[in-house]
Formats: sequence, C-alpha cells, structure tokens
Amino acid sequence: MQIASKEVSATSLVKAALEKAKRCENYNIFISLNEEAALKKAQEIDEKIKKGENPGKLAGVPYALKDNFLSKDGNTTAASKILEPLKSPITATSVKKLEDEGAIMIGRVNMDAFAHGSSTENSYFGPTKNSKDEARVAGGSSGGSAVAVALDIVEFATGTDTGGSIRQPASFNGVYGFKPTYGAISRYGVVAMASSTDCVGFFAKSAEDIDLLMSIAAGQDPYDLTTLPNYYETSEVKDVKKVGIIKDFDVKGEIKEALEKEVEDLKAKGIEIVELEMPTLKYALAVYYIVVPAEISSNLSRYDGIRYGYRNKDAKSLDEVYGKSRSDGFMPENKRRIMIGNFVLSSGFYDAYYLKAQKARTLIIKEYEKAFSKCDFILSPVTPNPAFKLGEKTSDPVSMYLEDVMSVPINLAGLPSLAFPVSETKDGLSLGLQLIGPRRSDKSLLDFAERRLK
Amino acid sequence: MLSNFSLEDAEAEALGQDLSQIIEYISQLDELDTEGIEPTYQVFEMENVWRDDEIKAQEADREALLALAPEAEDNQIKVPKVL
Amino acid sequence: MKDYEITIGIECHVQLATKTKLFSEVDNDAREKEPNSCVSPVDYALPGMLPRLNKEAVRMAVIAGHALNAKINLLSRFDRKHYYYPDLPKGYQISQLYQPIIGAGYVALPDGTKVRIEHAHMEEDAGKLSHFAGYSLVDLNRAGTPLIEIVSEPDIHSAAHARDYCKELWRIMTYAGVCFGDLYNGNMRFDVNISLAKPGEPLGTRAEIKNLNSFRSVERAVEYEYKRQSKLLDKGEKVVQETRGWSDDTGETTSQRSKEEAQDYRYMPEPDIPPIHLTEEFVEEMKVEMPKLPEDYREQFKGQIADDTLEILLDYQPLVEKLGETKDVKRVSNWFASVLLAEEKSAEYLNDLPSAKQLNDLAEMTEKAELSSTGAKEVFLKFFDPQMKNRDAREIAKELNVLQENDTGALEAIVDQVLNDPACAQAIADYKAGSEKVLGFLVGQVMKASKGKANPAAVQPILKEKLK
Repeated sequence: MQIASKEVSATSLVKAALEKAKRCENYNIFISLNEEAALKKAQEIDEKIKKGENPGKLAGVPYALKDNFLSKDGNTTAASKILEPLKSPITATSVKKLEDEGAIMIGRVNMDAFAHGSSTENSYFGPTKNSKDEARVAGGSSGGSAVAVALDIVEFATGTDTGGSIRQPASFNGVYGFKPTYGAISRYGVVAMASSTDCVGFFAKSAEDIDLLMSIAAGQDPYDLTTLPNYYETSEVKDVKKVGIIKDFDVKGEIKEALEKEVEDLKAKGIEIVELEMPTLKYALAVYYIVVPAEISSNLSRYDGIRYGYRNKDAKSLDEVYGKSRSDGFMPENKRRIMIGNFVLSSGFYDAYYLKAQKARTLIIKEYEKAFSKCDFILSPVTPNPAFKLGEKTSDPVSMYLEDVMSVPINLAGLPSLAFPVSETKDGLSLGLQLIGPRRSDKSLLDFAERRLK
Repeated sequence: MLSNFSLEDAEAEALGQDLSQIIEYISQLDELDTEGIEPTYQVFEMENVWRDDEIKAQEADREALLALAPEAEDNQIKVPKVL
Repeated sequence: MKDYEITIGIECHVQLATKTKLFSEVDNDAREKEPNSCVSPVDYALPGMLPRLNKEAVRMAVIAGHALNAKINLLSRFDRKHYYYPDLPKGYQISQLYQPIIGAGYVALPDGTKVRIEHAHMEEDAGKLSHFAGYSLVDLNRAGTPLIEIVSEPDIHSAAHARDYCKELWRIMTYAGVCFGDLYNGNMRFDVNISLAKPGEPLGTRAEIKNLNSFRSVERAVEYEYKRQSKLLDKGEKVVQETRGWSDDTGETTSQRSKEEAQDYRYMPEPDIPPIHLTEEFVEEMKVEMPKLPEDYREQFKGQIADDTLEILLDYQPLVEKLGETKDVKRVSNWFASVLLAEEKSAEYLNDLPSAKQLNDLAEMTEKAELSSTGAKEVFLKFFDPQMKNRDAREIAKELNVLQENDTGALEAIVDQVLNDPACAQAIADYKAGSEKVLGFLVGQVMKASKGKANPAAVQPILKEKLK
C-alpha cells in the first residue's frame, strides 16, 4: 500500500481518497465523512515527515471505518437509528492502534444495522451497491468497507465478522477480507453483535497488506478479557503441504468451476489435496441462528433510550420509552434476531434450542480439529452464489440466512479465515474463495496466500 | 414483552410469520445426536483473566457520559416516573 | 392461629469491600459522593464496553465461602440475567446461575442450630433510583458494586430465628473482612421467603419479601407475614406466590409482583468473561489467612464469659478481637460490655481501642486490689481520652489519685490516726461492747482519712486486730 513519504504527502493521499469517495456517492458507501479531522491529521503527519520523525508504519494511509467502531473522530451509528449518532467519548483499541501508526480515517462506512445481515440492505441509511454491478448487493454486513476498498477509495477498511460479514462482501467485490482467530484483535469499543463469535478484521488489496495490519492491530488488551496473549508476530510460518476440501458442501455452477481451478493450481504447485468429510457442518447454520441471536438479544438490551441514543419524543411512561424507542430505533432484521434470541433463551426452550446448539457447536469444533489433523488448511467457497440482486432476498429472511451456510461454521469454531478473489463470472461478478486455518495460524494463512495463491 | 418493542399490528404479524419460519429452520437441530456432549460457550481457551483492585482514571468522566443522555438533571439521568 | 408452622428461606446480598467495582476500576465506595461520580463507561454500558473482572472480588468470594463452611467450586462462570429497569444499564445483570463459585455450606447460630446454605454466587449490584413528581432520576454509583448472594435452605422457622440468622451472617461477613457491614447504606440486604403449612403437610405457597435492610425489619416482616398468611388460610383462601415490599413505617408488606407477571430472566452464559478456575492451593491458602469468626470466639471464651455478655460483644468485632489479646477476659469483657458500650461515643471508641498491655495492667491492678472497681472504671474510660489514652494504666491511676492503699504499714498508721480521733471514741466503745455494725463506720472513717485510697478489704482486719 501507498505510505506517505517526502515524495507523496499524506495530505495528497487523503485529499485523493476524499475526492474519490465523493465521486462514488452513487454506491452509498459512506455514512459520514471525516474530512476536517482527516486533513488535519494528514498535515500533522506531513510535519513529522518533514522533521524527520517517525510517522508510523501506516503513515498517511487513508482508510474507511465500519460504522460500528467507536472513535472520538465522528459519530457512530452502527447504521441504525437508535444510536442517533453517538458522539463517543472513547476510541476502540483497534482504531487507536491503527491511528498510532499514522493511518487516517477518511469516513465511516455503511453496514447492515448492528451488522445483522448479508447484504447491507438492513441499513437505516439505505443499501450500499456492489462495486461490479450497481443492481446487486454489496454483501454484508461490512458492505461499505468492501466496496470502499474495491473501488480504490481507500487502501484498507476495518470490518467485523460474526458469521461472514467480512469474507462474504470481500468475495462479492473482489478484494481480500480477513477474519482472524477469535480473540486476536480487541473488541473493546466495537458495537457488540454476538460476543462469542465477533471478530475485528480487515479488507485490503493483498494478503501482505493484511499481514501488516494484523501485526499492528492484534494483541492482548486488558479492556477485552477475551483477547489472546500476543501470538501473531511470534507465530511460526509453517510449510504448507496439504490443503483440504470439504465434500459435504453442495457447490454448483461458476463457484464450483472456480474452486476446481484453484485446486488444480494448488496441485500444480505441489500441494496435496485432501478430501474431508464434515457431516456436522450442515447443522452449523441452525446452530449459528440460535447462538448468535441469543447473544444479540442480550447485547442489544442496552439500547433502551435511557442513557444515550434515540428516545421517542412522545413516550410518556417508562414502558413507552423502552417500547417506542426500540421499535423506532431498530431495523426489522434487528427485531427478528432479538425475538429469536429471546425465544431460544426463554425458560422452556433454553435446553431444546440454546443448550442443544452449544453442544452441537462442540461437535463442529471437533470436526474441524479432526480435519486439521489431516491437512494444514481448508479451501472452501465463501458463499454458494455470487452477489445477488438488491431486494431479491429481503422478504425471505431464511433464504438470506442460507447465504451464510459456508461462512458461519468458521465463526462458531473461532478459526481464522481469509477470503481472496479468484476470478469473475461471465457477467463480471466477483468470485472469491476462503482459506481456513486452525486457531492461531493467522500468520501462516496470510503468508501462504501471499506466496502460493497468487 | 421480552424484547420490549411496541409493535404495530402489521409489523407484529409480519415478524411473527418470519419467526415461525426461522424457528422451523433451526429446529432441524433436533436430528443431531448431542447425547453426552459438553456445550461450548466460548471458543477461547484462557481462564482466570482478571485485573488488580486499583482505582484508575477512566477515559470518559461523568460530564462526558451524561452529555449523551437524552435527558439529565442534577448529574443524574432523567426518566419518566418509575412506578 | 398457632396451627401453622412457618418455613423461611433467606437470600442475602452482601456488598464486597473491594476498592474498585466488579468490572471497572472506579471507586467502589460511593458513600458521601456525588451522584454518578463513580461511573465508568463500562458501568454506563456504552456500546462496545466489556467487563474487566476484579481479582480481589474473586478472592473475597472464596473467603466468604470459607466463612460459610462451604465447598468452593474450583470452576465457576458468570451468566447474564436479563430484565429492563433504568438502574440496570446493560439490560442484564452479570451474575452466576449455572456454575456459582460457592457451593453448599452452613451457618451455625448462637443457639446451636444450623442453617444450611444452598449456594452463594457473585454478581454485580444495580444503580439507584430516586423518585420525584412525574419523573425519576438514575444514579449509577452503585451499579457494578461486587455482591455475593447467599441463598439459604428453608431451615428457618420463626421470626426471631430469621433475625438471628441475618445477624449472624452480618457478623460472619464483617469478621471475615469481606463486607463493611453498613446496613444503613445497604451493604447487606435480605430477601425473605415465607410459607405456612399445618404440621405434617407439604410446604405452602410462599411469598417473598424483598430488600429488607435491618434485622428488626426482617423480624417484623416475618411476624406480619405470619399473621397475614394465617388469616388467609383460616378463611380457606390461598396465598398468592408473589413478591412483596415491606414498609418500616406502616409495618406491613404489600404486593409488588405476582408470579403470573414474574419475569423470564433468559439466563445466558456470559461470553465476555473467561471462566474462573481456581487451584486447590489457592483455596487452601485463603483458609489459612481466614480471620477468626464469631464461632471461633465462642469456642475460645466458652466458660470464661457469660453467654449473653459474649453475644453482646460479638456484635463488635474489634472488641472480641481485643479481648482475645488480653489475659483477664472476664474483667475486660465486663468493662467492654458495661462501661464502654454504655458510652455515648462508643462507636467512635471502637476504632481506637486501648492496647492489650494497658488492659492487662489495669486488670492486674484491679486483681491485686490496687484499684477499686470504681477506680478501675475511671482509669478504663481515660484510655479513650485523647489527652491520656496512650499512657500506662498505673500512670493514669496515679494521676486520677485512685490507687488504693494496700501497704499494711501505711494503713496501720492511718488506722491509728482514726482510732485516736476523739470523734471515734464512742464507736470504739460500742464495738468493744459487742456492736459489730460500727465496724463499717470505722472503715469509712479510715477511707475518708486516706482520701479513698485505702482498700477497705485490707483495712478491716487491721481494725479488728487493733480493737482486740
């Protein structure tokens, strides 16, 4: 990626990014631009460069922030009405780390409200359009992040991935999207969706760029008890010999062709391909749509119109403050998930749904462990189909959920996975695949992608 | 009630319909044998992650926090009367 | 009315005396502080905030568990309990339902009975609401204060028993050093479950009286509930399973929420906090560090101090702790119980008790009759006088001029002086004529002549000898 230097100033990089962002308004990528602060920061970096001070590893690099990260720069909406945008007094740990290295946030990008969705259509600010075909969805929930990178507005963008929210839009837009091992990057200051699967990750134009971002953002944070002790930089890069493919997924059409071509390429490079039987994975989507809504219903309880965000002006009683503020403030998909969550946690259904799902989760994790005893990484499609049309699935939530079938099992097991672009359909839509590794194999995964998949 | 929404009839009906479809879908888990399997609540292998008992300055103080409240009075958050 | 047996189970919330809150590094002691001045973004439940577990709270929970003679569960976890209320910022309380840190135990009461503990768990406290005309205000200073909730088995069968149990819990928790025990400020709160049944019949429907904050209200609320429920049952009506509130002013309980409206808390394992996995060594170490508990002192002072005196003193841990350091526990316990506690400023004095040496010296001087019991009390009180408190007992006694004259030589001189006094001639004659009772008069004269310093017990034999 282009770093600011004596030759190329941070100011020019940021100005170019802002201009491009404005030219791409028709895609509805940005919820808000951070123009003034970004230019001021660019100036500061240029000063540092002039004085010969260290401007940081990401000096002057413009980036887009998914709008579910808190930062003192700008207001956070999580693409919902209920945060009414929040002027946050705190900054997320991950954002702080990036900015300490000189990265410059030029704007906050669109997403499905509270990251609930696979198309960025569930945004209070309207859908973001696909970078290859404006009639199609950007994917989601981090749709804005993917399109901002795909259209070359920014060098990288942050994302969050709870069930595929980085990898799916990355693959719908032909960019790299990385969901690290659960616990690699602090969740402090990131609007929570499902605490046990939420991961902060990145969109960029190469695995190498993502490696740099990981080396900066990963690490233990006393403000997030579920962060792993620093392992990213110190982990050994392994010599990859075997890559597995999952027999149980029903892969069709152009995605199947892309997968087969990649397999042939790997074989040609001397990699052994191992066929894996993973029969439990087909239950992962059901497990996901129990566990994740349960955590969502819990995490979204705090949006009550009391301490911050939107409060319905006509609410007279306390019950009305809750009821009306939440009804107005949440999108229908938020409400669906909250209601499913409350259902699976309610007394009488807890054992049959929530507990059962968490047991099934154990089986899924074991299945991955078994798979990784036979191969180093797993190669898989990210989605069953390329980007679908805007509005195509909005009236049928289950069909929308089915788009996540190949991405959610990875989150349930907390594994790292990199979505990378491979080719295009005959209609010019992006096709991507993902490479999945065991926990803490992040660095090897990115290294392999950089060296062997190109 | 549990979700704390006040929904119009039409929205409630639509959501109800979606919900029944979703519940039908997730109920396929019944087929899976989970006898004797321990649940996994966290995919995180660490234990005893805690901090020392020492007072520290916080990133946001009372003024910064209360400034976010839709209504505040006397350094407190104001809500309609709790019965 | 006496047809019914009462069965009571009590849930007690104990605020732990940590410096900071359970999940954030802000001051846990909000007494005398401005509203919302001890609130972090975590307590305020901003989006993206995560709990940061306080290790000291875990340590105190283990100590509390030992104090309850309970099994410590080496593996424990937190769970979320969901409900909407303005004093609960996250919309859930972080608690422990499925795997609490403290397992089964018991509390031994002074009357020799035991109340079994079902379990005890850690959780966070909620904030505080104040109500005004048309609105309420929320103060989150208390939100996130670490609590342990101690759940008893239904082993309690009278109002007095309920009161004694609560009081003993209060003593145990304060002795163990895990709670400040300030009931006025809500450091301990009691939820009391009460049900009535005829002897031999299964337990009746229970009502829960929530949020009692004194032993007296526990006792009164149980008495009131006994009357209320037995009246209902006498009339053939049913007791409704519900939550009731207690008013100290009216002396009545009133319905707050019935079971039909009861909340479904939708408990869920807390994904933001890794499990607590204690080692046997750590748990044992806490046992070794355990301060003495009321039961230990009962054992220690058994037979030396009257039971009722000891029970009075046991309400004041510093007193029994000090008592344990002294040699003459009988005398010292009496000074504590009947002199110190009778003082208006006794509460202040408890924080600055005399040294064991001061008390031992005083007791020894009294034993040797160098001081009268009145003189001893005077010296004892001076131990609390800012001007004199650090001085030796003997020094103070000298200063107060209350040392008794025991020296036989000196006493004989005074006796001689009295016997030679013409004013006493009549008395001496009467004594010699056989009137024993004038001896008292003569002793009194000696006391007077000695300015009160003569020890009457020593004077009497000398007088008798000289009058032979």
